[in-house]
Amino acid sequence: MYSIVSTAILCGIKSVPVCVEADVGDGMPVFEMVGFLASEVKEAKERVRTALRNVGYPLPPKRITVNFAPADIRKSGSGFDLPVAVAILSALGNIPADALSGVFVIGEIGLKGDVQPVHGVLPMVAEAKERGISRCIVPAANRREAGLIADMQVYGARSVGEVIRLLTGGWSETEDYNIEETAMEKERLDFADIHGQRLLKRACEVAVAGMHNLLLIGPPGAGKTMTAMRIPSILPPMSEEEQMELTKVYSVGGLLAEGSGLVGERPFRAPHHTISMQGLTGGGRVPKPGEISFAHKGVLFLDEFPEFQKETLEVLRQPLEEKCVRLVRLQGTFEYPADFMLVAAMNPCRCGYYPDMQRCNCTQTAVSRYLERVSRPLLNRIDICVEAPQLTFRELTGNGREEPSAVIRERVVAAQEIQRERYSGETFSCNSRIPAARIREFCGLSKKQEDYMEQIYARLGLTARAYHKLLKVARTLADMDGGGRIENRHLNEAICYRSLDKKFWERP
Amino acid sequence: MNYAYWFASVPGITNHARLSLLAQAGSARELYFLPERQLRSLRAQEKVIEAVLAGKKLDTERTYMELCGRGVSFISLEDSAYPERLKSISDAPYGIYAKGPLPGEQKKNVAIVGARMCSEYGRAVATELGKQLAARGVCVVSGMARGIDSAAHEGALLAGGATCAVLGCGVDVCYPRSAERIYGEILDRGCILSEHPPKTPPLAAYFPQRNRIISGISDLVVVVEAKERSGSLITADHALEQGRDIYAVPGRIFDPLSAGCNNLIRQGAGILSNIEEFIRELDLCGAPGTSMEHFEKLLLEKQERLVYSCVDLRPKSIEELLAETELTMPELAQLLAALSQKGFITEIFKNCYIRRI
Repeated sequence: MYSIVSTAILCGIKSVPVCVEADVGDGMPVFEMVGFLASEVKEAKERVRTALRNVGYPLPPKRITVNFAPADIRKSGSGFDLPVAVAILSALGNIPADALSGVFVIGEIGLKGDVQPVHGVLPMVAEAKERGISRCIVPAANRREAGLIADMQVYGARSVGEVIRLLTGGWSETEDYNIEETAMEKERLDFADIHGQRLLKRACEVAVAGMHNLLLIGPPGAGKTMTAMRIPSILPPMSEEEQMELTKVYSVGGLLAEGSGLVGERPFRAPHHTISMQGLTGGGRVPKPGEISFAHKGVLFLDEFPEFQKETLEVLRQPLEEKCVRLVRLQGTFEYPADFMLVAAMNPCRCGYYPDMQRCNCTQTAVSRYLERVSRPLLNRIDICVEAPQLTFRELTGNGREEPSAVIRERVVAAQEIQRERYSGETFSCNSRIPAARIREFCGLSKKQEDYMEQIYARLGLTARAYHKLLKVARTLADMDGGGRIENRHLNEAICYRSLDKKFWERP
Repeated sequence: MNYAYWFASVPGITNHARLSLLAQAGSARELYFLPERQLRSLRAQEKVIEAVLAGKKLDTERTYMELCGRGVSFISLEDSAYPERLKSISDAPYGIYAKGPLPGEQKKNVAIVGARMCSEYGRAVATELGKQLAARGVCVVSGMARGIDSAAHEGALLAGGATCAVLGCGVDVCYPRSAERIYGEILDRGCILSEHPPKTPPLAAYFPQRNRIISGISDLVVVVEAKERSGSLITADHALEQGRDIYAVPGRIFDPLSAGCNNLIRQGAGILSNIEEFIRELDLCGAPGTSMEHFEKLLLEKQERLVYSCVDLRPKSIEELLAETELTMPELAQLLAALSQKGFITEIFKNCYIRRI
């Protein structure tokens, strides 16, 4: 007898439908699986054989052939165990064939017949929904994740026995989750904990308001890391669409905690500086998403920026421009979203005290060499750069009341709202993403201001790119002021935040 | 043939050995014509004699012409043009190479030396001192290194005065590269000299030696900023041996960059606490130079004055200014832009400002 089961494999955060066909016929007793299989899929044979025997359905001495279609895609991952088991059971007549039409099946099984969770359930179920499938059987641990897809009847299976009972008995209509956020009542760090460092705090606020990339420079102990860690507390809430996209990345990367649903909070990823290139962008033979994709719609914080391997940092250039990363492998191109805000922190030199010559022990060459480690093209992609001094004890322990994150967040949300309205018909939604060709349109200056900026341009020796960044930051500052025209005060403040100037490191 | 140039070009002889040979033979010319037997009877190491004998085969005629063609003058200890002050020191270089006119004998020469990685304060002091001295006709001598040295030359050039750079490499080699602009300006208006022939690369070992020339051709040495163990103190030691006056610019006792200067003062160096006073002590009879520029602070608005009063010679970051003025960031940015525009302050480092004097 012949049977067919719908399942899928992952390709980036998209998924490709795969059909598992099984046929049981007379002949030599063989269990054969074909269809361009990776070794972990070939191993499914032994798991399925044993599991079925242990749940009371030993394989008969017949010729069993399982085929995975389409045959030109390499099948990898452990999620094929359950589809294979179901297809064989159906081919053996234990499950009626019509019970399988319009049902999507995914899951790994153990020898006992228990169903184990797999990665990437959300994108696979989402894709199944698009194909017109309305029922799916997933591992119980992935139940909530699959439930995020509206109008999809999801069954969370704990064992193969349960699946058999379900498919022979019929679906109950009771279980029906809908989109719901996993409650995130984490203890949040708050900006109110930081005394002083008003410049740093202001820079963070401006950066988040326009999603500008941010570089913090300062001696050790200036509170760069402390400030950066508090950025999540002022990030605006995510839209449903953004949440879904991020959850898919987490699902593929296997970062969703067991039983968790939608990721409701913007990510804040702070990888250690020993991270490899693959760890950052994603990689592997079948590429998994990396830190930049896990930071999608959130913040990627790179502390001790120059300590990262040069090659590792350089790979950031393309994703910073394109907001996604494309990994090309033999099997095809894997695309992961990577629309993140880069926050980097660094010391001004190896000892950390430059330009305070009373304390800095570095020679000029050592200072230059330290800075050389961060390449010019990368610095060019950073919009806001501020220098933080070391705080005195009095400043650190000051008992003035500091603004809590909630207040800052309100202002950020208001500024982003203005941007969203302005760019409602555009492909971008915040100031940092304005394409160069349209800067004049959105960041227009008066004649007088243009003359003034011309002087500044010459005096500071800006480049065209730096000038554009400056205008975009000024736009954000104006939006924080209510969204009117760019005023002189916005320009002047943006000048203070302008991208790092290497000439400051080169002194006669 | 220029015998002095030949003698200076003979490789493999230290300056010390050269001076000893010269004392025994009388002059380079006599040494050149000394028969081999007599030459061997001189009190000198075997290898020195061998070097002199081998050196006789050198074609110095051609290299000398080349040297003159490039605008480099060669002055030996035997020349009358050799600086008197330098002649008097114990280890005077036998030959010096110079680009530009040597500092005049009537003029006073003041050496200004200090740390390479100096503070903004030290830089400002060195520039001002160079400017004031040069304006009064003093020749400012220094080593063209980064930091204090460059600032002193810079100040002298600003005042349009004379300045002399003593290098630890050939006079046609610009080291460090960052001093390229100053090097060019000194070539136009001052003098660059070295005891090494042109094209000599800057080797670390040459630099402590050149310091004896800096102090040697000067009447007085000023140390602006020096750490506890600094190359500038070598210059001070040479100055002491050579009987030159030493002045040090005092600093705060916790500042490492002033530790060397404060130590010098403790050991009896002159204290340079007031530039006007210092110049008076120098007993200069030249025309008084331009006095210190004073900005018309009254031109500033009230808030600008508030910010300007907070900005110092020590670089202050925006963070500190925010705390001191209690202004908001947009307000402060506006005022800083206005003050930079008017030239009252400069951003010397990312988000760090100093006062312009």
